[in-house]
Amino acid sequence: MNDKPESILKVRSLTKSVQLENKTLALLQPIELTVNSGETIAIVGSSGSGKTTLLSILAGLDLPTSGEVYLKNHGLHQLNEEQRSQVRANHVGFIFQQFLLINSLTALENVMLPAELANIEDAEQRGIELLEKVGLGDRLQHYPSQLSGGEQQRVAIARAFIAKPDILFADEPTGNLDTKTGLHITDLLFDLNEQLGTTLVLVTHDPKLAARCQRQVEMDSGVLSEATNNSDFVATETPTVANVG
Amino acid sequence: MSRSNNVWYKQSLRLLDHELRRGELTIIFLAIVLAVATVFSLTGFSGQIKHAIVANSTNTIGADRVFGGNGPADEKYIAKSKSLNLDVALKVATDSMVFFGDNMLLSEIDAVSLNYPLRGELRVKRTLSGTEEVVGGPEKGELWVERSLLSRLGVNIGDTVEIGVAPLKIAGVLTNVPDRSYRFLVAGPAILMNVDDLAATELMQPGSRMWHSYLFAGETNDIEAFDEWIKPQVNDSQRWYDAKRAQNRLSTTLDSAERFLSLASMLGIVLAAVAVAVASRRYGQRHQSVVAVFRALGASISHVRKLYCLHWSLLSFISIAAGLVLGYVLLLLGANAIEGYLSLDDTPLTFTPFLTAVVTGLICAVAFAIHPIKELIHTSPLSVIRGFSEAKAVKLGLHQITPLIALLVLLLMFSGDVKMSLSLLAGGLLVSVILLGLGRLVMSAGRSVGTKAGKSWHLALANLKRRANENSVQLVSFTIAIKLLLLITVMKTSIIGEWEAQFPTDTPNQYLVNITPEQIAPLKKFTVDNDIPHRGFFAVYRGRLTAINGEKTIVVDDKKENEATEVTADKKNADEDNKPKGRKGMGRELGLTWLDDIPLQNKIIEGKWWDNNDQTFQVSVESGIAERLDIKLNDELSFNLGGREFNVKVTSLREVNWKTRQLNFIMIFNQAVLADFPSTSISAWNVAPEKKEIFYQLIGQYPTISMIDFDSIMKQLNQMIEQVTIAIELILVLVVLAGSLVLVAQVQASMEERERELAILRTLGAKGALLRNSVLFEFIALGGIAGLMASIGMEIGVFFLQTQTFEMAGSFHFSYWLVGILSGAGFVGLIGMLSCYRLLNLTSVTLIRRTM
Repeated sequence: MNDKPESILKVRSLTKSVQLENKTLALLQPIELTVNSGETIAIVGSSGSGKTTLLSILAGLDLPTSGEVYLKNHGLHQLNEEQRSQVRANHVGFIFQQFLLINSLTALENVMLPAELANIEDAEQRGIELLEKVGLGDRLQHYPSQLSGGEQQRVAIARAFIAKPDILFADEPTGNLDTKTGLHITDLLFDLNEQLGTTLVLVTHDPKLAARCQRQVEMDSGVLSEATNNSDFVATETPTVANVG
Repeated sequence: MSRSNNVWYKQSLRLLDHELRRGELTIIFLAIVLAVATVFSLTGFSGQIKHAIVANSTNTIGADRVFGGNGPADEKYIAKSKSLNLDVALKVATDSMVFFGDNMLLSEIDAVSLNYPLRGELRVKRTLSGTEEVVGGPEKGELWVERSLLSRLGVNIGDTVEIGVAPLKIAGVLTNVPDRSYRFLVAGPAILMNVDDLAATELMQPGSRMWHSYLFAGETNDIEAFDEWIKPQVNDSQRWYDAKRAQNRLSTTLDSAERFLSLASMLGIVLAAVAVAVASRRYGQRHQSVVAVFRALGASISHVRKLYCLHWSLLSFISIAAGLVLGYVLLLLGANAIEGYLSLDDTPLTFTPFLTAVVTGLICAVAFAIHPIKELIHTSPLSVIRGFSEAKAVKLGLHQITPLIALLVLLLMFSGDVKMSLSLLAGGLLVSVILLGLGRLVMSAGRSVGTKAGKSWHLALANLKRRANENSVQLVSFTIAIKLLLLITVMKTSIIGEWEAQFPTDTPNQYLVNITPEQIAPLKKFTVDNDIPHRGFFAVYRGRLTAINGEKTIVVDDKKENEATEVTADKKNADEDNKPKGRKGMGRELGLTWLDDIPLQNKIIEGKWWDNNDQTFQVSVESGIAERLDIKLNDELSFNLGGREFNVKVTSLREVNWKTRQLNFIMIFNQAVLADFPSTSISAWNVAPEKKEIFYQLIGQYPTISMIDFDSIMKQLNQMIEQVTIAIELILVLVVLAGSLVLVAQVQASMEERERELAILRTLGAKGALLRNSVLFEFIALGGIAGLMASIGMEIGVFFLQTQTFEMAGSFHFSYWLVGILSGAGFVGLIGMLSCYRLLNLTSVTLIRRTM
């Protein structure tokens, strides 16, 4: 771990707009953001505020309309789909709200997937270790359909960490889970993150979850603003809707 | 590049392995299996039938040219052919009884010379398990017989049977006869004997029917020269033909049977292809999330492409292999079913069906899947966040040309017939549009009925209408399948039954042929002693009508007289002028007779019956023929009988009831006309079952008399229909299977949508029973509508069969409508419910969870 902060993600004047019939709809107003290596940051905001759109551009899944995004010094805005997927394979991990495990692969095979794509030799050994870490050591050969929602998300977390990504994007990781399970998952996520020193970018509308991050930024109608005080989020806590379905 | 590793094939195999085991690829697997199996079994099947019909089209007459006539040919013909260095073989054909102990069987007997055949191969097996050998005609005292004779007569190779009065030994079974004209309803199995044994049988009697064929073969120039020389000399009662002109009426019939098989098969292939298309679309959709995750996790497009190309290729390979195995089993079953009637046991399984089936599998796997897979590979990684595209309605576009062309190629490959393939495709589209319109109409009507019929029906019919596009494919396929099944059932059970039922109970069931004049008295006595009803003995002469009022008759193309291909002198003249000249005549030889009294059930409608003392030559003509040939009262007709010409005057026109199964004659003369000609007689008896024993004993005493057992012919006909039906049913089973698969594939494709709907209805408080019933009723309604439309189609088909083929009055078969509608509703309901089984058994919570 570096003591000296080194930026892993840099965003300059990023905008995103879509063409709807004859109107142009601005989803993201010009955004500036820098994320340092090892930092944990939460992007919060209400539904439709644009936080997920921002996440998909930061992770190289989508392209901005204008502006620049650098991930590990790769200018994502200049790269094509194929080049961006290479950047993802080498540097990025994901956790999704809907878990997005491959139903026809076992828990272990799901976890091994990013490691295999990154050509890591001991993918299987690492997968087993990680699944043991998330408490699923006895469920290696189970299919996603045989696992509960919380268990599926634990598999997804193991999958996210296996290739030792430089940066991990999590999109509402507890959104599909009840409060109790959500808490377990959150603990697990932050524990692993701490152990491995991964940069974490987390999108959520849950203030409690956001409060676990070192830094919070708020998204409102496409405008990103830095929230300086952690307590803002704890104070304005709204009841979490369990299992929003 | 760090990702250019080889894990793609590991991942591909892993996915395939798990998905196959978890049943996720079952539909697409079955679709390809079915397409391949259908094509394999049907290509092989129709290939075998074709093979059985015309073993080898160039050799079907066993010679280059054949001269045929009712008696031995003029010596000068043989002399001329010898001078041209042509080979000549002789074949004398007749029907006769074969006896073995108390058993007897009417058989087709060909007495041939040792050098027969001149072209093609005559093959026999000397033991049943032995190998085939190519042979010439049988030695003196020996017979080659068709295999079915052994079981039907209860004999073995090596046994001695009697033909006429001559004992002859069965020396082997025939496996290939080059000039066997294939006939379904032949009098009996074929027997080849040596022509030198013919005299000993005493089958040759004055007036008995013995068709002499002289087979000629040689260098093309010599044959052409002989052809030139002999053609002008061929008279009306003789035939001169080559392989092309040898096609007989029965092979035409078989051709249409084969066409029917081909059409039904092609329908099966189309449906199987549709199933593949639907299933591969589903395959593409199902794998979108997998590809999206792979892509989000950094897999390159080429990685995904390689992965899925391997995945799909292996899946196709496995499916094609399984399809070949299944197809082979089906082929064996089908061949087995019709074996008794078409001796298929020795026809080789050619490479063609195998190749056709493999190519079919490949075409299905490539052409129908290329678009969905292309779309799949290019799934955006952004979908992991934005969600996946739903099953889009099929849009018309360039990508649909590929499957259509592929389908055409498939049909072409199967039938080898451009016109038929194109018309099937166009006709199929047209019929689909018509059925679609009708179906929509019924579904809409059903919808308004449904609003009054209760909640489940209401929901069901609303759903049916809403999914009208998807349902239409199923509607069309089930309608056609049910229609064909109904048609066959009605034909098998009803039409034949109705046809038989129209005969009175004393209708003759035994026909005695080839009775010599001296045998008549004892036979008459026998019928009196044993109280056997009959309408007398009729002397029969075979002759041709050659002129009407001095104007030569010609044979014009007429479906009922499909022997227009014969070269007769008149025909040749007609050909020269390129347009028929002369009167319309009868192409075939007629059975002529003389009578003193007008037969029962004949009615004079013009003129009057003759006075038996009147020695002028007179003829009474059947009114139908008179009308067709434009023969009027007092016209003068010329006949050729055994080479002798004579003229007679038409003194009456008769109406004949042909439906009586009594012996009827088109031309009846007074005795004065035929008194000098030799003849044999025929008689039709009604032998009650309890008198059959003594009847057979009687026939046993007169080996030269041929007996045609109408009962056993009917039994044979029924059996044949039974067997052919099995073969057709086998194909229809494939059609129904393909249709079911389309249904299952469509249901699978609509599964997410259905899940969502059910979830919403559940949340709104709908009870399980309501939901289950609404799904069930939706399929029942679909099947019922298909059944209804099929019944209408069947009725139209049956009407044509009854009025055109069986020449009887049309009738309705409403009970079969019920069968059609009920079986359609039941079957589609069952298949639909089975494919929704999992869905309907999900608990509300799971259902809601899964879809939210």
